[in-house]
Amino acid sequence: MHREIRTWDLSAADVRALNQSLHDLKPGMEDTHWRILSPEGAHAIACGLMVPVTVEIDGHVGYYCAGMNKDATVIIYGNAGVGVAENLMSGMVHVQGNASQSAGASGHGGLLVIDGDASARCGISMKGISIVVKGSVGHMSAFMAQAGDLVVCGDAGEALGDSIYEARIFVRGKVQDLGADCIEMELPADEREELAALLERAESSARPEDFRRYGSARELYNFHIDHAGKY
Amino acid sequence: MSAGSRIQIMKEVGPPAEVIERFNVREMTGTHAIGHTRMATESAVTTSGSHPFSTGADLCLVHNGSLSNHNSLRRTLRREGIHFETENDSEVAAGYITSRLNRGDALKEALERSLDDLDGFFTFAVGTGDGFAVLRDRIACKPAVMAETEDYVAMASEYRSLVSLPGIAEAKIWEPEPATVYSWSLADAS
Repeated sequence: MHREIRTWDLSAADVRALNQSLHDLKPGMEDTHWRILSPEGAHAIACGLMVPVTVEIDGHVGYYCAGMNKDATVIIYGNAGVGVAENLMSGMVHVQGNASQSAGASGHGGLLVIDGDASARCGISMKGISIVVKGSVGHMSAFMAQAGDLVVCGDAGEALGDSIYEARIFVRGKVQDLGADCIEMELPADEREELAALLERAESSARPEDFRRYGSARELYNFHIDHAGKY
Repeated sequence: MSAGSRIQIMKEVGPPAEVIERFNVREMTGTHAIGHTRMATESAVTTSGSHPFSTGADLCLVHNGSLSNHNSLRRTLRREGIHFETENDSEVAAGYITSRLNRGDALKEALERSLDDLDGFFTFAVGTGDGFAVLRDRIACKPAVMAETEDYVAMASEYRSLVSLPGIAEAKIWEPEPATVYSWSLADAS
């Protein structure tokens, strides 16, 4: 298939027009590879995409880049502002620099890869997304995380996994402390294989056996029938 | 609106471009500057409610966030003799720092103490006679980003505000950690 690369220079055109052009794409259209120049921290670049388009962004992006996307691949050659890939449905987002807070927030599916560090609240309220951070994450990461995987190749900040539901957390480095109801648990062989597959998809050379697994003790959110008299 | 000899505070209500024009900001020279535009949440849009707030001789403060204990703190500080002109929560943060400095705290100590005494959300940028300081509260939900090169250090709420700086593409870009006082002074740079 002929794959034309379309180039958009955001110093000459606004983000709204770019996003509209991306939203107008139908599956099977030829313009499936886009290159965005001069993003200069603009907000909401390449979000709400619904087709398997590839969008490369040549520089630092602002808030909510690649949010809500389905099927698309977005590669950011720079840092990302608050809420990159928030509410991601499927597809992939790859940040080659660092990400600000709330990366992958409430993501339902797909893969978010951050080559550098992510700051506070990475994966907050995640609902099925896979997030691989090759550096470290800040405080309150995976807060109230419901489903999905957060893989941290570096360290994790304060209150990791506070009030976590059924998401899984894998950390290779140090964890400053665990949030309420988050505990370290066994890493069984089948989960280790899934972790290995995720690391491979993220092109990380980290070894799965070096990770510790954290998750919910299920004491905070589960209704215990034995305690019914106390409620 | 300022006290001291090195820092001048100018503020006005209106579109930033017009305010910059009115004060002829483009012609100004100096070693450091703080700019702030306010989206009011806690009190009226007035010139006196605009930032920065003076916190003493050659000191000023801009605040992103909101403080929940500003009324009780303002009452306490008024009894101490700190003067307030508005019902604005950020002015209370400035008054608090003034009070701590009056009691002999160094700026770093005063800022560190504010982590315990101020309830609410804040990212502060404090202009000093020879530099500036940055502090975020422990939750750090109010954004901040830093840019450093060989020639300058800059802070903003988001990267978008830094893009017009020279050499920004090569600058080291990073986020200040929560509950950590960062400060820069010309004395350190020379």
